[in-house]
This record gives sequence, C-alpha cells and structure tokens, in this order.
Amino acid sequence: MAPGNDEDLALSRRAAAGDHGAFALLVEKHERPLRAFLSRTFGVQHADDIAQDAFLKAWRGAGQYDGRARYSTWLTRIAWRCRIDAVRREKAPEADDFGSTNVAASTAEVADMLGRLTERERASLVLCEGHGWTHAEAAELLNIPLGTLKSTVARAKARCRAMWQGAA
Amino acid sequence: MNEEFDDFLVSALAPPGRDPDRHFVRQVQARVLLEEYLEARQRSVLAGLARQLAVLVVVAVPMWWLSRAAPIAFWLAESPALALASLLTGFLFLVAMLTVRPGISVGFFQEN
Repeated sequence: MAPGNDEDLALSRRAAAGDHGAFALLVEKHERPLRAFLSRTFGVQHADDIAQDAFLKAWRGAGQYDGRARYSTWLTRIAWRCRIDAVRREKAPEADDFGSTNVAASTAEVADMLGRLTERERASLVLCEGHGWTHAEAAELLNIPLGTLKSTVARAKARCRAMWQGAA
Repeated sequence: MNEEFDDFLVSALAPPGRDPDRHFVRQVQARVLLEEYLEARQRSVLAGLARQLAVLVVVAVPMWWLSRAAPIAFWLAESPALALASLLTGFLFLVAMLTVRPGISVGFFQEN
C-alpha cells in the first residue's frame, strides 16, 4: 500500500458501507487537485461535470478501492475514463479555456500555452510537473508506454518554454 | 532562465491553495442522494411488477383450472351471457387487485 493511503482507504470503506459523511470528506480532500487537473487538461467548462461524474462513480465503486494506489490516482483514472466516455457519447468539442487555478501565475499566459498543446501533452505536463505524479503513474493513466510519456512531457515542456521565452 | 521557467511552470500548474469548495461537495452529495433515490425507486417498481405478475398467476391459473371442470364447461356453454358477466366480474376484480400499489417508502424528498 502506498504511504498515506490508510486514511483514504478507511474513508472509502466507510463510504462503501453507505457512510455519506465519510464520502463527503473524500470529496473535500480530493476535489481541489482533481478539478485543477481537469480544468487544465479539458477546459474549465468541462471540468466540473467530469469531476462530478467521477465522484459519483467513485461512490458507486468505493468498495473497489484497495489502497494500492493513491486515492487521487484512482480517482483521476476514473475521471479520465469519464472524459473518454463523454467524448465518445457526445463528440464533445475541444475545450478552449484552460483558465488558471493559480492566482500567482499569469492566467492568460498559462491558458494560452496549454491551449497550444495536445490533450495528452497537457495531461502529462499538468500531472508530472504540477501535481507531482511519477512518470509511471501518468503513463498508466494515459495508457501509454513510460518512454512515450517521458518524451511527451519533455516535448510539452520544451514547447511551453519556447512560448514563454517568446512572450518574455 | 531554465530554472526560472521551471519554477513558473510548477507554480502555474500546481493545484490552487484554497479551502475545499463546499458548494461543489454539496452538489456531489446531492447527486449521490439522487442516485440512491432513483435506485430505490427502480427496485420498488421492479418489486411491484413481480408482485403483480404473481397475483395474475395466482388468479388466472385457478380460473383456468376451474373452467376445465365438466360442470363449469357445461354451464359456460349453456349460459354464455352469464359466463361473460362472470368473466367481466373476475376481470374487474383482477384489475382492482393489480392497481392497488403499496406506498413507496424511500422518503428522499421528505428528508431533503
């Protein structure tokens, strides 16, 4: 079991037994990074819908969380599948607003940089650079080989750096 | 320059430092409760259908069996009007039994 997962595992087990309060604690704890990732990757207008769907599925499948991965990793995987399902179902248009969730960074600058990346590049960059995921975790989420993930992150970072230097 | 960019990127992409969004949490809780309510409602409807089917079988099978008895078959042949009236009465009784539904005791909207 990954370190620090005990609390989430206990809460998830309580949620699986029907404890709404325990699940609310999990939502409180994980909504911030999940919604930040989703709004960065898929755009602000889709983020909350996907996050709600993901939490609903996490509630339904609370008993399936076994604590081997971090709860945030497990939850983000669910959200990622929700997005894939939504795209298949609705042919959802490409998002165009990747608004900043961090007031310290220039909102327009970051949104513009991310908007020029592919969805996979955005996801890789946000997870590995902003959320502290390991390359292996991100590769598993995106269902791509580790080497591909590393080169995707490096390419995305290089493109952002070029844009940043160009803007400076 | 590179280090400055790395710092910028990490701070720009990091999750925001803020308190939990209570409004969002409540929205998720509401969806969970709604889902539970709908599931309970679906179970209740399915249970009602099963009960109605059982009642139909319980009433129809003895009637069919009775209608096969020689005296009844003779009576049906001799007095079709009376047989039709009996059949209609039986049908109305059946409809009355099937339309009586037990109350749904989920109480979602009362509690929330």
